[in-house]
Amino acid sequence: MNPTLRRTFLSAALILISLVLLWTNSPSRAQSDLSPVLIAGSVFDNLDQPVSGAQVILSGKDPDSIISEVLTESSGNFLLDVPENIPDNLNLHIERAHFETLEVPLTPADIQELKKGDSITTPDLVINRRITISFWIATLIFVGVLVLIATGKLHNTLAALVGASLIYFVSYIGYPINENLYIFNFHQSLFYVDWNVIFLIMGMMIIIAVVENTGIFQWLAFTAYRISGGKMILLLPILMLITGIASAFLDNVTTMLLMTPISVQIALSLGLSPLVLLIPEVMASNVIGISTLIGTPTNILIGSYAHLSFNDFLVNLTPGVIMAFIGLALYSYLTYRKQLSGSQDTSALLLERLGQQASITEPIHLKKAGVIGFFMLLLFMFGERIHLIPAVTALLGATALMVWIRPNIEEMIEAVDWTTLVFFISLFIVVGAIQEVGLISFIAEEIGIMVGDNLLLAVLVVIWFSAILSTVIANIPFTAAMLPVIGYLTITIPGAQSMVLFYCLSVGSAMGGNGSLIGASANMVTSGIAERAGYPITYVYFFKKGFPALLITVTLATIWLLIRFL
Amino acid sequence: MTDQEPKYILCAVRGGQESRNTVVRAIDLALKYNARLTFFHILDAEFLGAASLTMTPVRSIYEQLHEMGEFAMLILCDRASRRGVTRVDYKVQEGNIKDLLRQIAIETHADIMVMGRPVRSPGSNVFTRQDFDDFIHSLQTDTDPHIIVVSPDPLDIDLNSDPHGILPSEE
Repeated sequence: MNPTLRRTFLSAALILISLVLLWTNSPSRAQSDLSPVLIAGSVFDNLDQPVSGAQVILSGKDPDSIISEVLTESSGNFLLDVPENIPDNLNLHIERAHFETLEVPLTPADIQELKKGDSITTPDLVINRRITISFWIATLIFVGVLVLIATGKLHNTLAALVGASLIYFVSYIGYPINENLYIFNFHQSLFYVDWNVIFLIMGMMIIIAVVENTGIFQWLAFTAYRISGGKMILLLPILMLITGIASAFLDNVTTMLLMTPISVQIALSLGLSPLVLLIPEVMASNVIGISTLIGTPTNILIGSYAHLSFNDFLVNLTPGVIMAFIGLALYSYLTYRKQLSGSQDTSALLLERLGQQASITEPIHLKKAGVIGFFMLLLFMFGERIHLIPAVTALLGATALMVWIRPNIEEMIEAVDWTTLVFFISLFIVVGAIQEVGLISFIAEEIGIMVGDNLLLAVLVVIWFSAILSTVIANIPFTAAMLPVIGYLTITIPGAQSMVLFYCLSVGSAMGGNGSLIGASANMVTSGIAERAGYPITYVYFFKKGFPALLITVTLATIWLLIRFL
Repeated sequence: MTDQEPKYILCAVRGGQESRNTVVRAIDLALKYNARLTFFHILDAEFLGAASLTMTPVRSIYEQLHEMGEFAMLILCDRASRRGVTRVDYKVQEGNIKDLLRQIAIETHADIMVMGRPVRSPGSNVFTRQDFDDFIHSLQTDTDPHIIVVSPDPLDIDLNSDPHGILPSEE
């Protein structure tokens, strides 16, 4: 080979090899194109709760020179991208509505790490709540909604809608006037809507619409009457049990709407005042209804928030419920023993009429509903193992039932009470607003200070506080508002991680409904139907019968929870 | 029985203890004049819409309430039959109380309509005392039946009622 050509070739090869070596061994800055440099951290509030949606801004000496920004996730964590060229002074600026702004300068060591191309993790960043005028407005709106519901001045759904609308009005129209009027925007508000609850209720509505048309409850009540032979010592507890078990799978209001008319008829045929049967039945409905996840709307709320399964409620509450029911049955018998002993034999005509009315009207639908219901029960009980949430089970069951039965689809869709669903959505938004502005944190902190680390005290406070308040406040909004409070106490009190406080809330909010006529919607509808049959239930009458029942049942349930968890 | 004796008595009744005097009065009149007696029960479920949040549609409960109303009327018919009334039946309808009372008073051509004076007004669909008096007056003026109002308390004499159940021509 020509020496000149050889030298040229070798030089070119050397240059090529050098370039390749340089490229593969380039300094770490070039590696940042593949491995970004990050600042990781977490933001918490003064109650050690993660703060989501907080804006984390990386800036230089001049706060307006924004280098990078990101929002915290629901866990409070954030990952901030750091670009190549960064100044020698860096600050983290954390801001969020309803919180004080936090400025954290990065240390020279951290800045050096970042310049070298290494990611860093900051210590936990704590931002404090800031009380502004929006705190008071949101609180007032929430209290107003509760008052409207309690007094019946507006339909429940309209009351909740008014509350949600006012929240948006203040946030959107008030904010340009004064930024302290801001509560949250529409997008943020949707994070507070628990769609698992909405779809679970929707699915159950369709199933209930099929079941209740079959006449099964009327048939069960009449069968109870025949089995007991008209003996009240048997009939009363059997009817209470039927009502209670039905309430564990349907909601209490539905159960009483279906049981009250037939119970009135049975009572009248025996020459008794219907109240002798209705009052114990509605109390049994409030007590036994909490045995399962789907038995009460409050359980659905609690189960979804605390990730408690169908089995969790069955295992942890049913024994206490049984204890409470036995106490309730004894109390009911003692309360009404004089009236019960005065029952008469039923005339043949009335007995025949009762039998005609209490027949299964759709036996084939009932069988199909039974099969679907059985599989749904299995999915509720074991679906957790495949991460199947209750809402999906309810939707699967409702769809399967509709496909199998092929009802009039428009009628079935009409069976979904959209009024109730809109109520829940609006309620979530209103409760979300008071959570956003810090009212819930304030309440949680105060209760936390009151009970300290004492789990026993916390159990007693939650169960009895819930029970007594439920006699005057509608239990669904009360439960929705209390969930974050209970969540906080569950994290902070040693031993509370067993979720006992959530079960206390379930017991208190449901059994507390027996304390007054307005304590539960089931009480109100029973009273309404009884009144229209000519047997009004006054507030005083219900209080005299119901409040002792509240004391008995909540005491027995408390004893169970203490045995089970403490 | 003369041609002027009432032949058809209508008793608008809710049922229950407070309806007792009204029912007794109606049965007494039917026995006295050997008249046909119809118990009329008006069903309304407006309270359900405002009071409840339920997973079951409100409309499906109307059927249950209808059966309950029929059963209560059946008991009253049974009671009347046992006392000797030979022609007795009942009617249950749902709707607005005022409108239906007026409608049935016109449609049935009853000779006497017996009603109980309400003792409480828990809901918006039940009369207040003044409303009731005004309604009775308009009913008496606009329709055929002679209206007899019965008070639940037998000691409370109602000056608008006809204690003997006689026809207008005998007054």
